[in-house]
Amino acid sequence: MRDLIRGILKGAVGPEANDSRFLLDVHSRDLPGESTMVRYDDSDEVDLVVVGAGAGGSVLAQRLARAGWRVVILEAGPFWHPDEDWVSDEAGSHQLYWTQKRIIGGSDPIPMGSNNSGRGVGGSMVHYAGYCPRFHPSDFHTHSVDGVGADWPITYEDLRPHYEQVERELPVAGQDWPWGHPHRYPFSPHPVSEQGAVLWRGAIRAGVEMRVGPVGIVNGTFGNRPHCIYRGYCLQGCKVNAKASPYVTHLPDALAHRVEIRADCMVARVELDDATGRAVGVVYHDEVGGTERLQRARFVAVSGYSIETPRLLLQSTSRRFPHGLGNNDDQVGRYVMVQGAAQTAGRFPEEIRQYKAPPPEVSSEQFYETDPARGFARGFSIQTVGPLPITWSEHVLADGHWGRALREYMRDYNHWATIGVLNELLPHQDNRVTLAEETDPYGLPVARFDFSVGDNDQANMDYSTKVIKDILEAAGAQDVLTVHRYAHLVGGARMGTSPESSVLDANQRIWGVPNVFCSDGSVMPTQGSANPALTIMALASRLAERMASGRAMDSSGALVG
Amino acid sequence: MVGRYPDFDVFDAVETWDHATRKVIEDRMALAGRPLRFFTPEEEPTLRAFCDTVMAQDDEPRVPVAEFVDDKLAAGRLDGYQYADMPDDRETWRLVLAGLDEAARDRFGAEGFAAADPTGREEVVDALAAGKLSGGSWERLNVTRAWSVVMHAVLTGFYSHPWAWNEIGFGGPAYPRGFMRLGPVSTLEPFESPGATQEDPVRIVAEGEV
Ligand SMILES: Cc1cc2nc3c(=O)[nH]c(=O)nc-3n(C[C@H](O)[C@H](O)[C@H](O)COP(=O)(O)OP(=O)(O)OC[C@H]3O[C@@H](n4cnc5c(N)ncnc54)[C@H](O)[C@@H]3O)c2cc1C
Ligand code: SF4
Repeated sequence: MRDLIRGILKGAVGPEANDSRFLLDVHSRDLPGESTMVRYDDSDEVDLVVVGAGAGGSVLAQRLARAGWRVVILEAGPFWHPDEDWVSDEAGSHQLYWTQKRIIGGSDPIPMGSNNSGRGVGGSMVHYAGYCPRFHPSDFHTHSVDGVGADWPITYEDLRPHYEQVERELPVAGQDWPWGHPHRYPFSPHPVSEQGAVLWRGAIRAGVEMRVGPVGIVNGTFGNRPHCIYRGYCLQGCKVNAKASPYVTHLPDALAHRVEIRADCMVARVELDDATGRAVGVVYHDEVGGTERLQRARFVAVSGYSIETPRLLLQSTSRRFPHGLGNNDDQVGRYVMVQGAAQTAGRFPEEIRQYKAPPPEVSSEQFYETDPARGFARGFSIQTVGPLPITWSEHVLADGHWGRALREYMRDYNHWATIGVLNELLPHQDNRVTLAEETDPYGLPVARFDFSVGDNDQANMDYSTKVIKDILEAAGAQDVLTVHRYAHLVGGARMGTSPESSVLDANQRIWGVPNVFCSDGSVMPTQGSANPALTIMALASRLAERMASGRAMDSSGALVG
Repeated sequence: MVGRYPDFDVFDAVETWDHATRKVIEDRMALAGRPLRFFTPEEEPTLRAFCDTVMAQDDEPRVPVAEFVDDKLAAGRLDGYQYADMPDDRETWRLVLAGLDEAARDRFGAEGFAAADPTGREEVVDALAAGKLSGGSWERLNVTRAWSVVMHAVLTGFYSHPWAWNEIGFGGPAYPRGFMRLGPVSTLEPFESPGATQEDPVRIVAEGEV
């Protein structure tokens, strides 16, 4: 009976306290309310200034605006007008990415740009793929349970109501989920494309369970957001408004509740009053070569993601924090993580046409938890992906082909299907963001990110690539081709239980600074093998609830209530 | 190199593309024949010979890969990262072109990379792809990374061009039209057409038939 009622109601019950879906315009993709947006003065002491209009920053702003806070978001990138700015084209989407220079080092340097961070109103989710899995309960205490990684100062149960709320807001579509904490999704699973079906059949034969979704893509209609048109350009920004990003899920409601989004404003530092130890606001540039401006605020939230948040904190020096805000114990910028993201493609006699439908289709978390028999701690997930031609040509190049051989492989594009893994790589203190000598056009030091994989990481990656190869072979692939790569970013300003080993307390507040919080991917102590966006939003939702009630400002830094 | 889809032309669907996408693609096609802005006249022959060799383009009409790379570097549209042991991408390109000329001179006594014969050029590129060039300009680069930096730009230039999409049978821009026919195997939209042939490239390449 309950299932029947749930089935009938599927997709009909919208989230409370978020009207974004109704505020969007059916005839235009622009963010409604831009022209009538409230403007605050630099000297107005607003209640909250948020650095970065991405996943974490937007949810926090929307929630607190609903609680009556006066909020300004400063965003380094542009205010998008998707009808004109976004295109159905791979190379033409270059401006969506954070392409300001970053130096990459370590024994496994991680390429940045298109692959891991966005710049502009909506942040990286504007061009994320759309997978929206939750973390597993075990992710919150890997150190106690598996002897690796770190324990979070909060548990899955702290986030659970926020996962449920955010899943209704995106909204997430998928089959009933058997892994981690079993749960259902508010929207039914999408139809599966040919490439998804081919891979799924292989998985079944190889003894691997997969499920459709979970994706933050509208299935049916959702207020004024239409159904997905299966055009496959999710990583280039959804011109349809079917795919979830803060641009469509939280910022319309934020603007309707008097949030100002000040775009093209690069924040240079958090300004601290050394006498009181409180932040007075943030200093920013509204143009290259322009003079510094100071936006005053009672509270500051840094939401610039795992490279820019540490960079900003390191740049924010003061008498109390000579090495950067919150960095007296040399913790800022450490424990930055990426996930191993190898992809294997298989060649089939039939045409598959992997460019159709959203790249995220079917996934598995069967290998998510530690299995001692595998010889390494923690695990990985498996997800379908659908590389478009340029990305696909990089796969062929990585397999060692160029010239005529590359063209020969490329004209066979329609015969290949691609599947990927996400490995939980463990946090390591030397995988870190520091400031380089070089400066950006604003005169600010650019970030340097060093990364090296560890032994457990390597064992995990080796094992997982064998599993996806087996899936393709079971699916009947004649040949397979594997590329080794990385995806996603988290950590760099992690939450924890003491200032000696973390940057933030359990309320995501910087140790020793009463009014500066972080709300983005950088706060995570571990990453699981789930894609991070849903968890980033759920964390922001929880933080907002605690800031609105004042619990987050409890002076002990311990969890109260 | 012939494509597999003789009856398919993405432009047949051009009326279904949104205006912003159409403009980006038409601007890209208009790059052909545009005078270079970033590379010098001395570098130009090497750049063109390199782009032709790595993309196996030996005939007109060519996909304007050299112009695409030049436009990207001139506009400073870089990719957002620089390896700690590498110079800026713009400098990398100049060093790679100089290094190709040096390699062609050392190996064949050719005046430069562009003056070497096609087999010689392929030999040099093979060595570059394998990270096996050294001396002169190469000492200032991590050769393997330099190969990935330059090829990233070249491949983006080539496979962002509609002629390349025709060759590989890619459906192209799909907004606001979308795709209605996702499967089962080989179900096509009315504007798509099946491949005329379907030989396995893995076998062809492995057996040296390209
Ligand atoms: C290609 C790709 C595919 C992905 N696929 C998935 C997926 O399928 N599922 C998933 O869960 N995740 C995915 N991700 C990751 C996901 O998008 C990010 O983890 C998430 O958006 C990060 O949220 P955030 O709030 O931490 O930062 P962001 O969303 O990146 O927001 C940070 C914002 O801050 C701004 N900013 C930074 N510094 C400053 C400054 N100093 N001043 C002013 N503004 C500043 C930036 O411009 C940016 O807009 C993908 C990412 C990419 C790039
Ligand atoms: S496939 Fe669907 S979700 Fe992805 S970009 Fe297209 S319409 Fe948007």
